[in-house]
Amino acid sequence: MTPAISVTGLTRRYRDHTALDDVSLAIGSGTITGLLGRNGAGKTTLLRILAGHEFPSSGSVRVLGGPPAENEEVLRRLAFVREDQIYPEIKVGQALRAASWFYPNWDGTLASLLLEDFGVRTDKAVKKLSRGQRSALGITIGLAARAEVTLFDEPYAGLDAVARQLFYDRLLADFAQFPRTVLFSTHLIDEAAALFESVIVIDKGRVVLDAAADALRGVATRISGPCLAVDALAQGREVWERRKLGSQASVVVVGPLSADERERARSAGVDLTPLSLQQIMVQAAAGAIAPTPETSVMTERTRA
Amino acid sequence: MNTWVKVARYDLVRPANYLVLPWVLPFCFAVGAVTAGRSPGHDAAGFLSSFFVYFGVLGMQTIGRSLPFALTLGCSRGSFYRGTALLGMALALVLGLMLAALQALERATDGWGLSMRFFRVPYLLSGSWYAAWLTATVILFAVFVYGMWYGIVYSRWGLLGTLAFVAAQTLVVVAAVVAVSFEHWHLWSAAGGSFAGLTALGLTGVIAALAVVLLAGGHVTIRRATV
Repeated sequence: MTPAISVTGLTRRYRDHTALDDVSLAIGSGTITGLLGRNGAGKTTLLRILAGHEFPSSGSVRVLGGPPAENEEVLRRLAFVREDQIYPEIKVGQALRAASWFYPNWDGTLASLLLEDFGVRTDKAVKKLSRGQRSALGITIGLAARAEVTLFDEPYAGLDAVARQLFYDRLLADFAQFPRTVLFSTHLIDEAAALFESVIVIDKGRVVLDAAADALRGVATRISGPCLAVDALAQGREVWERRKLGSQASVVVVGPLSADERERARSAGVDLTPLSLQQIMVQAAAGAIAPTPETSVMTERTRA
Repeated sequence: MNTWVKVARYDLVRPANYLVLPWVLPFCFAVGAVTAGRSPGHDAAGFLSSFFVYFGVLGMQTIGRSLPFALTLGCSRGSFYRGTALLGMALALVLGLMLAALQALERATDGWGLSMRFFRVPYLLSGSWYAAWLTATVILFAVFVYGMWYGIVYSRWGLLGTLAFVAAQTLVVVAAVVAVSFEHWHLWSAAGGSFAGLTALGLTGVIAALAVVLLAGGHVTIRRATV
């Protein structure tokens, strides 16, 4: 199967810094992928280049089989929800009407439904919307466009927790009916983790983790308890992080734990907590995970 | 639906901007009538220029206001530019016809009963109504495209870039004037010694050629604009 998005050796340099540095990745069609990373890691630049809003300095970018920049064959099958979208001086309803002309799969009913759910009135000027309502409008357009490739860049600045949950639910429901390729950047990682089939972490313009979400579950475990017992369990394992407080220690070890080890941990009074996606991302951004082929998590997706 | 037409519709999704345009006229007419219109010669045609300036500003605003969302809606920069230029042409035709009609009316009423010249711009729009329509349309379109180009330059290179753009144009004009008036080359006398040899229609042709150059310049500039 050809990937919906494929990027090879992509570099984007600005005058004083390199936003993306030799990025290569492939995203299969019909998947929801999380794009994670710290502020300024290059997530927005990557999404902007994928959407044809920005141009690469070097490297190749293919979306739905072609380069996206100035290519309407690709662009009309692609939706991009930007955090900082600038709208003309129009009303919400007019923005939706304009969107309906450009997206071939536009679903007006879904759009009205979503706006109603988010409590945004169509006769309101976009300029007068609150930050959260403006995000809701972006999300509405992104979902109702039903584009084959949908890119969300921090789509929910200012949205309350209820509205965010609503967005996740609607996204999954509509995705089940009309599968598409979704790439989604967010800082609320644990909240959105359940959506992701795979995860890409970038840091300082480089891909530091590219793995199936399933492969990441239980990939690392935090072992905390008495120093001696913790050290005994961590013996001979790859360790990402080690903390010590008096006689207590807390260590993050890589790899699954056997039933025997779990039993030993229980009897020694040691706590075992699998690392959440957010904690894994923190480790990845801190450079704990080297993007090398021998790390088993890395190659999971390319093999699949 | 053709993408260019979609873009033109998108530009018009809030038509207020374009509908207020004709309302500039009564105001400049009023100012013209009470000032220059009362002085000897009754020539207030200079006040009509604000109408053209306003139209150029509209062209400029299409970039800053409408381009970012158009790109998000999956429209390419090229299509946005061509669609918006198409809209500019359509508006120029309609507004040019309106100016021509008012010009004819002004002639019929002997300057609105005040022997005043407002729409009959001497030399340029003082001929027949259809010549005035053609000339006004061409000038309006050129001004619109010129405004768009400014908007694009500003969005790509900011204030400094815009200043450089103005400076570059000034240099071109100065260089042209120097070259033409450099007696040794006899260019000026070859051109007939003045622009007087050029009829209003001839000048319209020159402006039309200029509009094509401006249109091409904007098209090249927008291709790598980012928003």
